Amino acid sequence: MRSQVFIVLITLILYPSILFGQLQRERVEQDTAVELTFMAPRNINLFTVEPLSRGELHYSIMHTFGEVNSGAGDLWGVDQGANVRFSFEYGFGDNFSIGFGRSSMDKVYDVNARIALLSQRTDGSMPISVTIAPSVGINTSSFGFLDEDYSFSDRLNFSLALPIARKFSSDFSLMVVPMAVYFNRTGPELNISDPEINTYYSVGIGGRYKFASRTALSFQYIPPLTDAENLTNNIGIGIDIETGGHVFQMFFTTSRALNESYLISSENGNFFDREFRFGFNINRLFRIR
Amino acid sequence: MKKYLLLLFVVPLLLVRFDEVSAQAYMAEDGYVEFISTAPLLEFKGVSNHLTGLIDLDENLIDFYVDLTTIDTGIQRRNRDMRSTYLNTDRFPFAEFTGSLLTDFDSENQAKQQVKTLGKFSINGVEREIEVEGTLEPTPDGLLLEASWVILLDDYNIDRPRVLFYELAEEQTVNISILLYPRE
Repeated sequence: MRSQVFIVLITLILYPSILFGQLQRERVEQDTAVELTFMAPRNINLFTVEPLSRGELHYSIMHTFGEVNSGAGDLWGVDQGANVRFSFEYGFGDNFSIGFGRSSMDKVYDVNARIALLSQRTDGSMPISVTIAPSVGINTSSFGFLDEDYSFSDRLNFSLALPIARKFSSDFSLMVVPMAVYFNRTGPELNISDPEINTYYSVGIGGRYKFASRTALSFQYIPPLTDAENLTNNIGIGIDIETGGHVFQMFFTTSRALNESYLISSENGNFFDREFRFGFNINRLFRIR
Repeated sequence: MKKYLLLLFVVPLLLVRFDEVSAQAYMAEDGYVEFISTAPLLEFKGVSNHLTGLIDLDENLIDFYVDLTTIDTGIQRRNRDMRSTYLNTDRFPFAEFTGSLLTDFDSENQAKQQVKTLGKFSINGVEREIEVEGTLEPTPDGLLLEASWVILLDDYNIDRPRVLFYELAEEQTVNISILLYPRE
């Protein structure tokens, strides 16, 4: 009796396609990597898991200005000058890219890599994406005014970020980013919160929520996990706009910092005392080969 | 007695299938489709070789679909944008057309013949009735279908950048070419 019921059910299910002869729709690949977890390689300031493909060149220019509480006379911080970072990142493979950048704060040049270790899959077999992003920076500021000038080695800093992200839906993505930074030499001449501390670490949180097809709200939160003086929360909220080839990211953040080393080591304003700054990133992708 | 009742129910349905999908049905899974975008500053096309189609001359049925995740525009990031931002392939993975021939087609005539079809084309979850003109040509291997038509992205609720850049044209030309083999 059961088998008879089964046959009838199967027949009924197939009946429309049998009757009308239409093709059964089938995907070419059932399982693919989840794409566009974030719109760009950075979400406000934090590295994301969004990889470049082989042959893609990503250019970005990032800015943060003075604190908005400086008022209208300073155009809410814009007149106070900007920390500017430009960077180029090239995809040598679909999961491996190398970047080069320069930040005006402390005149730091850095070289970084991003390696996608895991990719979230559409069938759920891999629920997260993980990328490792090491970088080396060199401070090129002039320290001739010091009794003991900085040697080449003194100028180096090293950072490691490990974005772990999940795209929960087509609209909402979240990531946690364990980060660590080491400065070979520190002092009050650097734009870091505590001149006595060489090693900083934190676990940043970032996310984005798409409220329109090409527009998303974004945020970052980088808590001060290092026992250092003057180190407080880094908070940022922003909006991402994808315009076909470009991604514009406009945000308010508590920190001037734009690279990993300084994101978790430099001072922050109090977000709720309007000690935050306007900033924006422009991202552009080129295909080289 | 129950068995006979079951047979009475199932057999006619099966007969419908095997009777209707007859020797006049042609099918393929490796057809070519391209979507051409011609914007003022940029022309590009997305192509796929996974166009799947069926023409059943007895039933006057034309049924085509393509898995939109197989469309390649030549730039990976643009592919990702197209899938996630414009076509929403997570929810609507296929572009599909189902319709029928409006004009006569003589499968015994080996010449390329102009044909006109009427059917429903859907993409991004929006379905619209369209007329498509093309050619059908009997070949030693089967039927060669070539067709071309234009769609407007607004008609299918496909959002495109309107701020600062216009790299995706409102008007998209769709060209297909597919050799369909007799269905066994």
